Amino acid sequence: MKKVSLTREYLKGLWEQNPTFKQILGTCPTLAVTVSAMNGIAMALATTFVLVFSSAIISLVRKLIPSQVRIAAYIVIVATFVTIVDLVMKAQFPEMSKSLGPYIPLIVVNCIILGRAEAFASKNGVFRSILDALGMGTGFLLALFVIGSIRELLGTKTILGFQLMPDFYTPWLIMILPAGAFITYGLLMGLSNAYADRKKENERNAIYEKYIASKQTVPTTETEA
Amino acid sequence: MKTAIHMIITLFVIGSLSGGFLSYIANWASPKIIQHRQEDTEKAIYTVQPKCKKTEKVKAAFELYRVFSESGDTLGYAMPVEGNGFQGKVRLMIGVTKDATELTGLEILEQSETPGLGQKIVEEDFKKQFANLVTNPLVEWIKGSAPEKKNQIQTITGATISSKSVVEIINTGLETLRTSLNDGGIK
Amino acid sequence: MELVLLFVSSALINNFVLAYFLGICPFIGVSNKLSSAFSMGIATTFVMVLTAIVSWLIYNLILLPNHLDYLQYVAFILVIASLVQFVEMVIKKVSQPLYRALGIFLPLITTNCAILGLALFIVLKEYDFAQSIVYGFGVGAGFTLALVIMAGIREELDLADVPKPFRGAPITLVVAGLLALAFMGFAGLINI
Repeated sequence: MKKVSLTREYLKGLWEQNPTFKQILGTCPTLAVTVSAMNGIAMALATTFVLVFSSAIISLVRKLIPSQVRIAAYIVIVATFVTIVDLVMKAQFPEMSKSLGPYIPLIVVNCIILGRAEAFASKNGVFRSILDALGMGTGFLLALFVIGSIRELLGTKTILGFQLMPDFYTPWLIMILPAGAFITYGLLMGLSNAYADRKKENERNAIYEKYIASKQTVPTTETEA
Repeated sequence: MKTAIHMIITLFVIGSLSGGFLSYIANWASPKIIQHRQEDTEKAIYTVQPKCKKTEKVKAAFELYRVFSESGDTLGYAMPVEGNGFQGKVRLMIGVTKDATELTGLEILEQSETPGLGQKIVEEDFKKQFANLVTNPLVEWIKGSAPEKKNQIQTITGATISSKSVVEIINTGLETLRTSLNDGGIK
Repeated sequence: MELVLLFVSSALINNFVLAYFLGICPFIGVSNKLSSAFSMGIATTFVMVLTAIVSWLIYNLILLPNHLDYLQYVAFILVIASLVQFVEMVIKKVSQPLYRALGIFLPLITTNCAILGLALFIVLKEYDFAQSIVYGFGVGAGFTLALVIMAGIREELDLADVPKPFRGAPITLVVAGLLALAFMGFAGLINI
């Protein structure tokens, strides 16, 4: 396997392989809790906590678990950490736990966690797995914050509780309804695709120009998927 | 066979480690969670009975709290009631006077109404209508204009069903309370 | 009568996909063909009813009497994973054509958050045994309905001139948003 630098291991989750916009993982919490930016942040932090610890543990014990039962073992590990988060939230942050409701336990089936466990932590060392998990968590956080802010701003005029829209603006009710979640997420994903396509095309053009300039054969480049 | 044993042992070890660890965390968390729940109930009682200084759980067929003033006189009762709203369950805390003829206040404990419309029932403008509201014979609602009678409240524009549901839940609760008060179920 | 209302409300008003955002992954993944959407819906409904039964029994007969309710997430997810495995084995033995039709969808069901969501909601809403079964069936029917409607729309959408970056998942989400708006019309149909 090709070794990538440690910083890249972290950074890839932010944009290139952003779990929300690029891998389309963990959609349920993305849509459900993003009525406000604060909820998005709390959900993402809880998910990141579970992601980092379960990735670390899975990576540690990956050689001890027979492959036939690995999924079951991973699920138990993930569910354990989710229960911890749930209990700690209920005990220390009762308000937050009320507004996130039943979506905390659903972190268990958040595909980001099992996806990263299966695709990364089960094949890599502890340190790299933690970095990967942190990167994915940060990417998730960014995505949830953006979606949450847009919905909160257009739906209730505020971001994180601070009013940012003028008083004469009538809030779009649809943004805090389920429908608004789907539409915001869909449009943002489309825009991020458009941006990525544009970037890829620019890169291709740059290579082409280089080729014209040097009049040599084009080096076969690997475009990153 | 050997792999089968290996599989079972692995799962067993993981399972028991997880169970043990969780029971430790749960032991730490559960008293705090119970305490939060009690605080929430108490806070709601103080909101619906502003003059309340002390509360006591009453032995009855349903959840009921007796509310005392500073001098120790019984002011009335606070009672959690629940029913169906527009989209889901609505739970309320109502405060009533000793003879159950007047409401002292209303607090919404739990609801899942439409954001921006039905969810306006949690807003102060709606809730304050229930403070010192006469409940004889029962609470009534009026749509689109200011209340005409002493036992009327005005429904929220665009959230008539949610407002009506709140009134209906209160009325059901009041009837239960009155029956128990009359036949001596509460001492 | 009350059970009928519960069925209607769980299938239409509080539709898992469109109101609670549960089961979005298969909703986006499998909703591009009408036939596979229907098979997926049926398989999921089947597992949902079984999950409702088993998780109710486990929670109310084992976890609650022993004050082990903090183990519910671990217990439920294990139940679901083994149920799916079990259903797969049974179908394979009993009917080969059915296995070929549903087989590839079954493993996907384990990570369908709608199933775990169902188990959690049954605990949260304190349903009794009969209600739990009806609820499981209603939620499954609602899931199938949303999936089939979406698949129907997407088959038409393939012929539409959608801007390139929006093809696939993004446009599906936007359509789902409009669908969610339409389903809101069911709210208030009945009070439950």
